[in-house]
Amino acid sequence: MKQFTRPPVSIRRGGERSWLPLVLLILGLLLLVFHESGLLAPIETGAHYILDPLQRATSGVFDSTGGLFRTVRETRELRAEVESLRAQVEALKVENVRLREYEAEAQQLRALLNFASEYPISTHLGAEVVSRDACDSYPCGDVVGVEPNPYLRYVTINVGAQQGADVGMSVVSGGAGLVGRITEVGPRTAKVQLLSDPESSVAALLQTTRATGLVVGQPDGSLQMRYIPQEEEVATGDIVLTSGLGGLMPKGLVIGQVTEVQQREYETFQTATVRPAVDFTRLELALVITGFEQIPLGETVEETEPE
Amino acid sequence: MTLPLLTAVALIQSTVLSRVSVLGARPDLMLLVVLTWAVVRGLDEGLMWAFIGGLIVDLLSGGPLAGTALALVAAAYLAGQSLGEEVGSEVVRLVILGVLGALTYHVTLLVVLGWTGHPVSWGFSLTRVAGPSVILNAVLAPFVLQPLRWLDQVTEPDRGVV
Repeated sequence: MKQFTRPPVSIRRGGERSWLPLVLLILGLLLLVFHESGLLAPIETGAHYILDPLQRATSGVFDSTGGLFRTVRETRELRAEVESLRAQVEALKVENVRLREYEAEAQQLRALLNFASEYPISTHLGAEVVSRDACDSYPCGDVVGVEPNPYLRYVTINVGAQQGADVGMSVVSGGAGLVGRITEVGPRTAKVQLLSDPESSVAALLQTTRATGLVVGQPDGSLQMRYIPQEEEVATGDIVLTSGLGGLMPKGLVIGQVTEVQQREYETFQTATVRPAVDFTRLELALVITGFEQIPLGETVEETEPE
Repeated sequence: MTLPLLTAVALIQSTVLSRVSVLGARPDLMLLVVLTWAVVRGLDEGLMWAFIGGLIVDLLSGGPLAGTALALVAAAYLAGQSLGEEVGSEVVRLVILGVLGALTYHVTLLVVLGWTGHPVSWGFSLTRVAGPSVILNAVLAPFVLQPLRWLDQVTEPDRGVV
């Protein structure tokens, strides 16, 4: 059987010690410090000019070959889904009629209150921007890369600075569900920090009670809504939306749904576990919101203060 | 040859393998390649691959630059030692080094993330992420050995065989 010899460990021939481990350790630490201070940003951007097209190409190759295998499995699943959807369509038709009635009633009430919607992006987003048609007016991108570090949750989308994406912009997917925020932009790709990343936190409110809190990513990939005042009523099934507080994100994007409430009387705040509206493991098309109208501070304060 | 190969490994890692999860464990091709190369070609080459490969992975990641590089260097340093040579079988030795190397990699990665201000949950990370990943990658390590042995022979045919 073949035996492989190799240079003896960190001691070279003649007992000479290799300095390579120490050199690489120091170099690595220096790079880490320079990266954290932002000094390496131009070099990293330069590297993206080479890596971005390669990543897009690799993703394209594996998507097309993987698609062949998926098709067979999906055909079976689709048949069952079609049957289920037909039943749902019938139910939704009935519900739609009922909702139209509510809509007409709501319009009348708005007119009575002289209410004017000042935030078209948050009011129309669910209907427009998540469809493929929206790609005419907003940059859309396919997910071309998933975070290789198992302790972080990022995805890479194939829109970047050239398409108008920038750091801090919100990214949504199907059903106006919030995916996360752009943290790094390359020429043609952008890294999106998912809501489930442990470092992610988003100002949120409950659709029903308008109680505010902060949705924070957890190490296991779940979401928690923290800092909900004790006096607020939180129920399982409540929809969690972005509150727009801080002006970093549009108001009204769907974050998820409350699945569990942890309320202890001796604590100042209550916490809710939130199931994300978006399945981060099956992200395909993502959409970047490049601009939105910020909520004036006065309104957010008024809205969050109980009567 | 090193740079294109490691770039390809990093791209496969970030586009395909990062989507794969087996009971919470993810196959880490770059870690496997680096560990195996350190066993096949020795410490210095293992360290160089670890550093270069780690930097490429870091460029494709949202994490701190050089974080993965440092973690891979630590793992390669361990794999490059003469530890377990008395076992005889190279495959068994690779599995042992796979366990130790992957564990070192994950612990170093968590230390770097903590040091750079990322929230780290040690209990969850070690039991639910690192643990399963260490086992999976140790099992997969022998499968990477054959291709890299072939590469070793192709690139330096006169070296290593006695």
